[in-house]
Amino acid sequence: MIKKILLVEDDELDVISVQRTLEKLEVKYDLYTAYNGIEALGMLNSGDNPLMPDVVLLDLNMPRMNGIEFLRTIRKDSRFDDMKVFIMTTSSETVDRSTTEQLGISGYILKPLSYIGNIKRADSMDAFVEFHLRKILTDN
Amino acid sequence: MKLSVQLILAFSLILILSLADSLSNYFLSVKVKENTEFLSRSQEIMRNSASLHKMMIVMQSSFRGYLLTHDSTFLAGYEEGLRRVPVLIKEQKKLVNENSHQKVLLDSVDFLHEEWTDYSNTLIRTTNYHIENGDMGKVNPVLYIYQFKNQIGKKINDQISEKFLAFDRAEYKQRSVHSANLMESIERTHTFSILFFSLTMLVGVMTTIYIISFILKRIRTMVHLAENISQGNFTTLDDKRNDELTSLSASLNIMSNSLSRNINKLEKQNLELDKFAYVVSHDLKAPLRGIHNVVKWIGEDMKNEVTPELKKYLEIISQRISRMEDLINGLLEYARTREQTSPEVTHVDQLVTEIVETIVPRSFEVRVSKLPVMVTEKLKLEQIFTNLISNAVKYSISENGRIEISCKEFRNHYEFSVKDNGVGIDPEYHHKIFELFQTLREKNEKESTGIGLAIIKKILDDQHCRIKVKSDLGKGSEFIFTWPRIENMI
Repeated sequence: MIKKILLVEDDELDVISVQRTLEKLEVKYDLYTAYNGIEALGMLNSGDNPLMPDVVLLDLNMPRMNGIEFLRTIRKDSRFDDMKVFIMTTSSETVDRSTTEQLGISGYILKPLSYIGNIKRADSMDAFVEFHLRKILTDN
Repeated sequence: MKLSVQLILAFSLILILSLADSLSNYFLSVKVKENTEFLSRSQEIMRNSASLHKMMIVMQSSFRGYLLTHDSTFLAGYEEGLRRVPVLIKEQKKLVNENSHQKVLLDSVDFLHEEWTDYSNTLIRTTNYHIENGDMGKVNPVLYIYQFKNQIGKKINDQISEKFLAFDRAEYKQRSVHSANLMESIERTHTFSILFFSLTMLVGVMTTIYIISFILKRIRTMVHLAENISQGNFTTLDDKRNDELTSLSASLNIMSNSLSRNINKLEKQNLELDKFAYVVSHDLKAPLRGIHNVVKWIGEDMKNEVTPELKKYLEIISQRISRMEDLINGLLEYARTREQTSPEVTHVDQLVTEIVETIVPRSFEVRVSKLPVMVTEKLKLEQIFTNLISNAVKYSISENGRIEISCKEFRNHYEFSVKDNGVGIDPEYHHKIFELFQTLREKNEKESTGIGLAIIKKILDDQHCRIKVKSDLGKGSEFIFTWPRIENMI
């Protein structure tokens, strides 16, 4: 079964960047894109055909509903407990790790548009794709 | 009360006491003068008294002699006495006090002498008469009468002697009274002098204590405040007295507050500037990255369809964007050099070695001579060395460039030198290179941001240090900069 990836990101360039990186994967997947938290919720809760992504790539700074709020909302819904959520962050962003970890995160990814920074324990996009995404998408 | 009033009062008091002391001494000297005058008069009186008495005695013995011997040479002394005694008595009366016991005595002597001279004159006349008339026979009866009357004469003479004695005694008594008086005056003056001296000392000591403890203490508080201010501690004084020093306190307080406000304002402005610089550079970089990536994607996607010119154009875009990123990073760095770092123990040789290992290619020859260990703001020194060494690498002529780093120690500072044998700098530009965004565009392939030296200069300016360059085209460059030496911190 082809796995689904939901990308929640408001910056156009960041979306293109993630898409291009994912394209290098030789594994098939379906990519869905939402530009903010509300849109993403809409896609997850759409009446007759709700989206059940296997992986969510979540940006934190978005208008109208940011990543944390979105995450809180979906964690209240047990349907989405199996979803693997990865938070995308730039090096200069300070992520409140306690909050995010409480909400069940599978990992942190450094956004490809970021600079070489000091953030620890965040994989580069390429590394993420290579070591995590490939595995998730090919797992049965 | 105003300080000046207090001090004037104190000193006036001391002056008055001095004056009083002088006055009492003056009065004493007047008394001494009086006493001296009295003494000399007294001596004259005694002399006169003695002369008078002697004269009378001479008269008496002359009289007796004449009566006994009928020798008229005896009469000389008698007659002289007759003449001179009244004169002397008159003089003595002038010298002696009008209403005194001595005057009374003198009057008595005068009267008694007259009595005696009456008596003696009579006898002498009678004797003369009889001698001239050849009546020697009648002389004896005269002698008889004389002997009879001698009792009277003797009595008078005794009385006269008594009077003289009393007179002299009286004079001596007066002298001793005067002397006792004088002694008393001297004692009194001594007592007053001691009193005034003690009071003067007391007032003097108290004034000194007052000045030292009250006034100097306040001045010291103000000096302390000034020191606090100079160290950035903007406290104020509490001075409720209303004298001359209070206006100084008020001024200091105003100054302290004003400085405090201004420095707070400056610090706030600096913080805002820092934030601004950070936000600007951060937010400028984001779209730059975007452009950079899109250009990259265009290149990747159109790899085979793109003409060489187009490829070149895309490359140029990428390069320019990189440069802009470098400039923004450089600006950010420049803005942040104002940040205070805390001093730490720095092994400069280790610092330099690390930098060299990081940025200098292995093909270079690097000579590092003895470098000191000191307590200083390590990051700033590191920045300077990094920029200088990186320049040395950037502007070298070949892969085998040579870099020499050395240090000279002086009493209050160090002098560091970074020398290379690269392309060198035209002396014309020696001061321009430290300006922001100045690079020497000729003959270098790798572009520099022109910020490195500006950053160095800014750090050194903040430390009140200097940098100079010795260089010429084709002859390499030597950058020499000073760095403060804080002696007693190690």
